Amino acid sequence: MMGRKGHAGPGRDVMDCDAFREEMMDLLYEEAAPAVARRLDEHQAACRACRDELSSFRRLRRHLASWRTPPDLGRVPRRFSSARPYLAMAAALLLLVTGGLALKGSELRYEQGRFAFRLGRAPEPSALSAALAAQEQRHRREIDALQATVAAMSEKATLRKVQRMIEESEARQATIVSAGLTRLEERTEARRQYDLAQVGAGLSYLDGKAGLQAARTTELMGHVLQASQKR
Amino acid sequence: MPRASKFTRSMAPSDEELVEQFQNGDSSAFEVLVRRWERKVQGAIYRLVGPGEDVRDLSQETLLKAYRGLGTFKQEARFSSWLYQIALNVCRDRMRRGRGKSYVSFDELSETGDTGTEPGPSALELIEARDLSRQVAAAVSALPQEQREVVVLKEYQGLTFLEIAEALDVPLSTVKTRLYRGLGQLRQELVRQGVRGGTPVPAPTS
Repeated sequence: MMGRKGHAGPGRDVMDCDAFREEMMDLLYEEAAPAVARRLDEHQAACRACRDELSSFRRLRRHLASWRTPPDLGRVPRRFSSARPYLAMAAALLLLVTGGLALKGSELRYEQGRFAFRLGRAPEPSALSAALAAQEQRHRREIDALQATVAAMSEKATLRKVQRMIEESEARQATIVSAGLTRLEERTEARRQYDLAQVGAGLSYLDGKAGLQAARTTELMGHVLQASQKR
Repeated sequence: MPRASKFTRSMAPSDEELVEQFQNGDSSAFEVLVRRWERKVQGAIYRLVGPGEDVRDLSQETLLKAYRGLGTFKQEARFSSWLYQIALNVCRDRMRRGRGKSYVSFDELSETGDTGTEPGPSALELIEARDLSRQVAAAVSALPQEQREVVVLKEYQGLTFLEIAEALDVPLSTVKTRLYRGLGQLRQELVRQGVRGGTPVPAPTS
């Protein structure tokens, strides 16, 4: 495919340059069979021109790698079912009607804005689906049992039970309020006693101060009286 | 795309298994195939026709054609090769009609922000990397269509030579010849644009 002239290298090289270039693309893209790759390596080891040629292509490939696709190419909108969904729907319905038993297990779904029609049996449910189905069944059984218990209770019994619960609640509230009032009364009495003691102490202090003042006044009056008598 | 062995059946189904499921009536299998291949097909179309709104349109057209044709698809070739074949035909049709052209907008390229540089590059390195990305895009878009298709499928989509031969319906040797010539032209173009480190040695004269 390339030049016609060959180059027989020295020593063990039995591949000429034409043959090397015939196979060089396999070596460049690592698709050469091991035996061919060995012969190519032997040739390029002995032939500088072919070795440089291969090196220059490898360098070129590194340059080519700089061209990347932009990350925002985006996903292609899916409209594979049909360009005309109404016709597709009509065709699917016609198939369902005329197919009869031959279409047993087929499925027509409408999802994401289009109709999807599937022939044949639905795929087997996975283990997860089976586990979820079993759990749902169990929950349904528990709900049914609870509803049966509630239904078995008479309305009168239910009212009595509710009344008893209300009375017990009220009694608890009354006890709590009573205890609170008692504590408040005790605190108020203690404060009152303390305040009376403070007032008593204050009066005693005033009384004491007034008594001393009266004694001094009396003593002064005695001195004045004695001085006037001496005159 | 390797076929699933009995040891991998419990893992994700292979393309071939999904095709069988679809042909047996399970249309949801196609959704799995789309999720698996959509991004790759878009990447190929992006590089074949250049960035722009056409990429999404052409991707949609490709997947729609695949959906319509999958029911009768005989698995003589790999699903990936078949899908790329559809994408290539869609791109060729678009370019023939002149509604799209293999042209890379440098303005749009500068908005990609994904230049493949190592973490922590300097501003100069970022500019150089962006310039290199533009230069590579322009050089690939300037290739003849046959070479560009092979370069895109091999270098950017990572298909094997056999898968490319299936997608293009040409012999293996033709694929390698087109790739060799395409790479040679790219190397020459990048050197002409002054890309550092891209200097090729002269072709052997012997």
